[in-house]
Order: sequence, then C-alpha cells, then structure tokens
Amino acid sequence: MEKPILKAHDLSKRYEDGVLALDHLNLDVRPGEVFCLLGANGAGKTTTINLFLNFIPPTTGTCFINGIDVTKDPLEAKKYVAFVSENVMLYGNFTARQNLDFFAKLGGRENLDKEDYHQVMRRVSLQEKAFEQRVKNFSKGMRQKLGISIAIIKDAPAILLDEPTSGLDPKAASEFLEILGELKQEGKAILMSTHDIFRAKDIADRVGIMKEGRLVLERTREELQYEDLVKIYIDYMRAEPLAL
Amino acid sequence: MTWNIAKKEIVSNLLSYKFFIVILLMVILVFTSFFIMHRDFKERLSDYHLIKPGPEDPIAVNPPNPLSIFVKGLDEAMARSYEISRIGIDVKAGKQSGNIIFSYFSAPDFMYLTRVILSLVALLFGFDQISREREKGTLKLMLSNPVSRAKVLIGKWIGNFLCLAVPFIFVTLIGFAFMNLDPGVSFESFGLVRFGLILLVSLIYISLFLSLGMLISAFSKRTAASIVILLFIWAIVVFIIPNLGTLVARQIVDVPSVRALSEKRDQIWTREVLLGIQDRNWSDHYNRISQENNMLEEDYRNKFNRLIRFSKNINRISPVASYIYAVSDIAGTGIGEEGSLKREVIRYKNQIFPDVIEQKENFPNFSYRYRSLSQVFTRGTLFDTAWLLFFNILFFALSYLGMVRYDVR
Repeated sequence: MEKPILKAHDLSKRYEDGVLALDHLNLDVRPGEVFCLLGANGAGKTTTINLFLNFIPPTTGTCFINGIDVTKDPLEAKKYVAFVSENVMLYGNFTARQNLDFFAKLGGRENLDKEDYHQVMRRVSLQEKAFEQRVKNFSKGMRQKLGISIAIIKDAPAILLDEPTSGLDPKAASEFLEILGELKQEGKAILMSTHDIFRAKDIADRVGIMKEGRLVLERTREELQYEDLVKIYIDYMRAEPLAL
Repeated sequence: MTWNIAKKEIVSNLLSYKFFIVILLMVILVFTSFFIMHRDFKERLSDYHLIKPGPEDPIAVNPPNPLSIFVKGLDEAMARSYEISRIGIDVKAGKQSGNIIFSYFSAPDFMYLTRVILSLVALLFGFDQISREREKGTLKLMLSNPVSRAKVLIGKWIGNFLCLAVPFIFVTLIGFAFMNLDPGVSFESFGLVRFGLILLVSLIYISLFLSLGMLISAFSKRTAASIVILLFIWAIVVFIIPNLGTLVARQIVDVPSVRALSEKRDQIWTREVLLGIQDRNWSDHYNRISQENNMLEEDYRNKFNRLIRFSKNINRISPVASYIYAVSDIAGTGIGEEGSLKREVIRYKNQIFPDVIEQKENFPNFSYRYRSLSQVFTRGTLFDTAWLLFFNILFFALSYLGMVRYDVR
C-alpha cells in the first residue's frame, strides 16, 4: 500500500472563543484516491483544509503533506499541495492566462509558455476566447475552471478542494468532477469538502461524515455499494448533538 | 518569488484606473507647482535687482535661491536687505512683488506637494494591500503556495513603491529640465546635487507612507476600516503634530516678542541720544548702542534658538517635520541656513561698523556662501533623513508582524 500524501494525526482545533472546531481527527489520503468530507456548516470541514494549508495552527495533533509536518515546515509542505476554494477569486484586471501565469510561478512552475497555459485551460474546457479575457467578467463556473487549472498547472501530488462545486449549475458541476476524476487517474491525492452527497458518492473512494468537529463515520466506495449514503448522512445530522 | 509578486503589483497597478489618475494628478500638480513657483522666483529675483546695493553700499542682501522654486522655506525672509547704519542693522523687506496669495495659502512648492498630496497618494496605494486581497480571497490562494508572508509583503512593497517612484521621478525630472531651459534660473552643480538629494529624501518620505498604509492594512480585516484609520492618522501626522509642537514649545520656552525687543532698542537709542546731546561724544554713544543692541540680539537669538530646537524635537514625533527640516536645509532655505545667514550679516556689520560710524564710504560687498552639504548633513539633516528611514523600517517591521499574525481565512 502506498504511503499517504495527506495525513491528519490526532488533529484538533479550538478557537480563541473556546469553540472546538475539530476534535482529534485522523485521516489519510493516498495517491489516486479521492476522500470526500461531508457535513453540515460548522462541522469542521473547512477547518481541516485550513489546517492542512497552515492558515491556522492546530491546538493538538499534526498535519502531514507528503510526509512533511505542515506546522514545522509549511513552505516545503505547500510545494506538494494545490488548493481550490469555494469561490475562486482571482485578479479581475488580469486575463485568465495572466492569472494562471502568476499562480504557476508562485507554485514554483517557472519557464512555462503561453501554449502550456492554453493547454491546461483547454483541458478544463474553458472557452478558447476566454483565455485572453479579463477575469472580472467571468461567471462562477469559469472561475472555478480557472481555479482547477491553477491546481493542475502546479502539478502537486495532493489537491485540497473546499466545496468547489457549491453554487455551480449541474452541468458545470459535472464537468468539474470529471476533471477531478482525471486527476485521480493521474495519481493525485484529493481531499474535498462538499455538501453534495450525490456527487461525493460518484467520485469518492472514501467518504467521511463530520459532525461537530469529529469524523463520525467513514465509508469506502465498496461499502457504499450496499448502504444508502443519503440516509446515513441524514440520520447523523438528525441525531442528538455529540457529548463533547 | 518576491519579484513575481512585485511584477504582479506593477501590472495590476498599470491596468487600474487608480494608477492613471495618480499619474495625471502628478503631472498636473508638479507642472503647475513648477510654473507658479518659477514665476514667483522670477518676481523675487526682480525685487532683488531693485534693492541690490551699489558696489560700495553698507547693505547686505542675499539673492533668492533658485532651489526655493522647489522648497520655498524661509527664502523670502532670507532675501531681505540688511542695511548697516550707525544704530545697528535695519531690516527691510523687498518690494513684496512675490506672490501675495501665498499668504492665504501655502506656497504650492514641490515640498508641499510631496508632504501633503503625495503622502496621501502613497497611503492610497498601501491601504488595501493586505485587507483587499483577503476580502477578494486571493490572499488565501496566494498563501496556499510555497511563498512566505514576508515575501508577499516585500513583493507588494517593492511593486507599489516602483509604481509611485518611477512616475514621480520621471515627472519631476522633466519639470526640473524645463526649469533649466530658463537662462535666468541657474542651478549649477550646487543645485543639481541638492535637487537630487531632495528627490531622494522625498522618495524616502513617500515610501514611509506606503509602509504606513500597508501596516494598517495588515492589522485590519476590512478595507473600509483601513482607509478611515489611515485618514485619521494622516491628518494628525501631516497637520496636527507639526503645528501642535510649536505651540507646546512656546508655552515652555519664554521668548520675548519682536515688539518688546524693538521697545528696548528704542530705549537704548533714546538714552544714548540724550546723553550724546549733553557730551557731544557721538562716536562712543553709537558704539554703546551697537554693543547693547548686539547683546539684546544675542540674548534674543539664544532664546529663539532654544525655542526652535525644542519645537523641532517635539515636531519630529511626526515624520513630516523631519521631512520639512531635511529638504529645506538641503535646499538652503531652512532654519539652519537662515541662522547662518544672520550670523554672516552680524559678522559683516561688525566688520564695517567702525567705518559706518566714521561716515566713510567704499564698504566691502556682502556675499553669503551657503553652507556646504557636509555642514548641512552634520547639523541635523543626516539625523532627519535617518529618522525618516527609521520610521520606514519601523512601519514595515510592524506590518510584517501584522502579516505573520494575519488571519487569511
């Protein structure tokens, strides 16, 4: 079995106001695997992603990216991860290619040429005419496509996605998940937080349900063939609050 | 990596309407300022030619300084005529053909533009650097890459500084080149080097406000909050502290009024004239008037210098004061130069006074040599420049602290 690219070990986060956002989370994502985190708002999905990106320090526990402790060496760890947020907001005055170029260089991909950028944008089905257009007029679907282009061009072994299909129309969401499927085939380790149970079931190799900061249930794709994920999810959401 | 971020800032500015408005503003302001101040200088130069003493008159007059086009400072006061008579020094203003409207408004010289307008422009470049990126969500995307927060901050600073500095230098140098086309205005190498130094200190001053803008941006989550806080700080730093310091110093250091000084002089004059009528020994009485006036002047000057030193030090709480002191002294229109000129006038008076009493003719001409740059820098300007750099580094270091702790979510 391959070593996990993304690994959370006993990870907890308590905010300054006392709220326990994450409670002893343990998870790992291996190459070529999609792990979907499901849960209501405030369940701890985004906190998990923020901890992996070192945007906030953990209260206890450790995050590892490609075996590197994120807290100890965040810059080295970030070389191996790409990120797509719920609302990909880019530099409105820049064209799609200029945005791609800027973030590619930040991600350590120097010496790419115009054709390299165009190729990535074609791959995510961004319309050709949009390549040299300013991003400020882009729809949310186009921005998300550009967001995933940025993740692709970084060519990192792990990708973190924070509710990337939220607010997208069904066609755009399907296209987006198709691209994720391709990335999975290429061996990327993908951790995605989402509210979309149906699409999570379609794409995920493993699904985790989070509630009040805890990973309360984890199922593999095989296990889900015999279980109704929607029913499990609703049952968990309806259940009494956890005794913390 | 840093340069990539700097380049992004430059391109981003070049593509924004804010940048073009700033360029337009710079062009309009710098050229208007140079035009008005050039006219003002020419008028003062005409005045000087009118009051210029003959080759053997006991009058000390300093011609207007061409650098006063950029930093007017105390040049008008320095271009007054000092007539040496048997009772001492009689100060006369020129014919006041200089622009009287400046009495209502501040002279719109280069120093004023930089001090007030460009400091505000620099704040407008810096105020949203961090908070807007956070609001837009681009900061999160940027920091998800292997780039340190320090590099983001430095890159942003460099990019924005270049966007401010390059057009500023360009527009100013074009204006300066135009000034040089006038044969009546001669800067020579003296003026060229000093103008270069004024430009350099001005750039340090502008960058200080850019750092201040970034500092507030790094501590506030919302852009709207940053701009309100910055406008408040700007008003205090640019307008309130430099004036408040002088008022505070006046309360602490007691300096007699010019009127009181004048009354004392009159008393000495009256007393000695009455005694002279009795003993007819006018030469002794004129000497006594001169000596006592000298003592009065010296006492006044000492107290006045103490007031100035005290005011300057209080005002230095605001970097604006340091900027004014530094550039006016470099231009030769500052307090230090004015003091030096007055000392030279007194030395001239003491030199020719015996001949004035004996009503001789053929006095040597007065000529004033501006302090050298090394003298200017060792007597305060080096400190003021270093003080500006200190503020700059302090603000940047604090903005780094803010950036490190910044919640990017």
